Amino acid sequence: MVAYPPEPASVPLLQLEQIATARKGPQGQITPFLTDISWSCQAAELTALIGPSGGGKSSLIRLINRLEEPQQGRILLAGTDINEIPPPLLRQRVGMMLQKAHMFQGSVLDNLQQPFRYRKTALPGADDPYLLQCLSLARLSPDYLQRDARTLSGGEQQRVNLARALINRPEVLLLDEPTSALDRPTTDSLGQTLLEICRSERLAVIMVTHDLRLSRRISDQTIYLEAGRIVEAGRTAELFSSPQSKALQGFLAEPAEEP
Amino acid sequence: MGKNSLIHLDLLQLLYAYALILLSVSLARFKQIGQERQMLWASLRMVVQLLAVGYLLQLVFTVRSPLLVILILLSMTGFSLQVIGSRIRQHMPHFYRIMGSSIIIGCGGVTFYFCLLVVGYSPWYDPRYLIPLAGMIIGNSMNGASLAAERLTAEMRERHDELETALCLGATARQAAEPALRTAYRAALIPTMNTMAATGIVALPGMMTGQILSGTEPMLAVRYQIAIMCAITAAVAITAFLILLQGYRSYFTPADQLRQHNPLS
Repeated sequence: MVAYPPEPASVPLLQLEQIATARKGPQGQITPFLTDISWSCQAAELTALIGPSGGGKSSLIRLINRLEEPQQGRILLAGTDINEIPPPLLRQRVGMMLQKAHMFQGSVLDNLQQPFRYRKTALPGADDPYLLQCLSLARLSPDYLQRDARTLSGGEQQRVNLARALINRPEVLLLDEPTSALDRPTTDSLGQTLLEICRSERLAVIMVTHDLRLSRRISDQTIYLEAGRIVEAGRTAELFSSPQSKALQGFLAEPAEEP
Repeated sequence: MGKNSLIHLDLLQLLYAYALILLSVSLARFKQIGQERQMLWASLRMVVQLLAVGYLLQLVFTVRSPLLVILILLSMTGFSLQVIGSRIRQHMPHFYRIMGSSIIIGCGGVTFYFCLLVVGYSPWYDPRYLIPLAGMIIGNSMNGASLAAERLTAEMRERHDELETALCLGATARQAAEPALRTAYRAALIPTMNTMAATGIVALPGMMTGQILSGTEPMLAVRYQIAIMCAITAAVAITAFLILLQGYRSYFTPADQLRQHNPLS
């Protein structure tokens, strides 16, 4: 396992420079949403995005794999502007687990093979070493491979979702509230799994969460986002022990918000 | 009565036929279903519309102008677009462009192939052939076109999570939309397949019946019916295919993003 902090690299793995987005209102009026977002992260680093609902956390990570487009600023992946990378290729390098784990029809193996169908390369079999490694990283036994993915429990589906996101060997993994539908023991176990994968695979993990306890336990840096702006960002331990802004102090003092 | 002679319907005979509508309206009134006024209105519209079409066709048959024939075919397409549009244009981006071009290429192409190569009459715009044949091809394809568009809009909405998951795993827009396209294409083709399979057993087709009534040999009427069924099937298949091919793309930006999340792109 790689120790934290990671060795400083000359170029950050992921860098956001003065990102701004806008939204179309119900009457067609255009209003600014995310404003002046700049931040970077390294391989093997786990970042948590916290803040009130509607503050722009999910919108922000959806920019990183280009599910959505910023109006201003640029995002660099290992020094390359993501607009220069064909979107399907970018999304192989920047994996994402959506909040709702959609399972494709068929077995868990069919689901893990899906990215290879998109790439039009040979499908890995049930004995493929890397496929088994992804399964094991997501803490699923090989017995799951032949099970119908849609009949699994929420926690199991989220693990298949994780294994499936890892199968493309991404450099960055985006997680949109991965534990929102899970109970406390399952959340803790998935959180631990995520941290281990982040370190062992040298993945930059960026996680949107409402679970402050989880964020505090596993993340290296935390970003507090409110009304489309980064209000405060820093090392997780410092940010939680001595929040500087009134907004974050208030947010941390509130009882846990339901997503 | 001679073999090929027609029985003409005079006004009195038509009134006898219309008495059947009045009987239906009386039955509706007796059961108090509250639709009598609408039934009467619908029957009057039917009579007026058909009379108008009859006079128009007589005029077109007399004038025999290619421009007039094309104009009639285009307005038929326009009316059918309007009917489908009232149901789905809000849910499908670029509705008129996609539907219009697909119908013109799909139905128009098949109609001219059928008229010129299969039936092979001249001149090509002879309204006695072109208008009824094009009318049947367009009318029947409308059902398939409308099913393809409706099913596509529903699939793109219902499969939102699946589409995003596929994109996140590195799918192109085409690959992500493929399951939705397959379902929509199947939905568009099923009624035509069912009609083909049931033809002659469940019901005698309208064109064949009409030809037999007007004195055509049954076997010749059957040959015409087989040929027109083939043309209708091809028109449905091509029109629906073109609608889906252009339609799915309108839900995505050039960067393979769902347009609903990128309204400013």
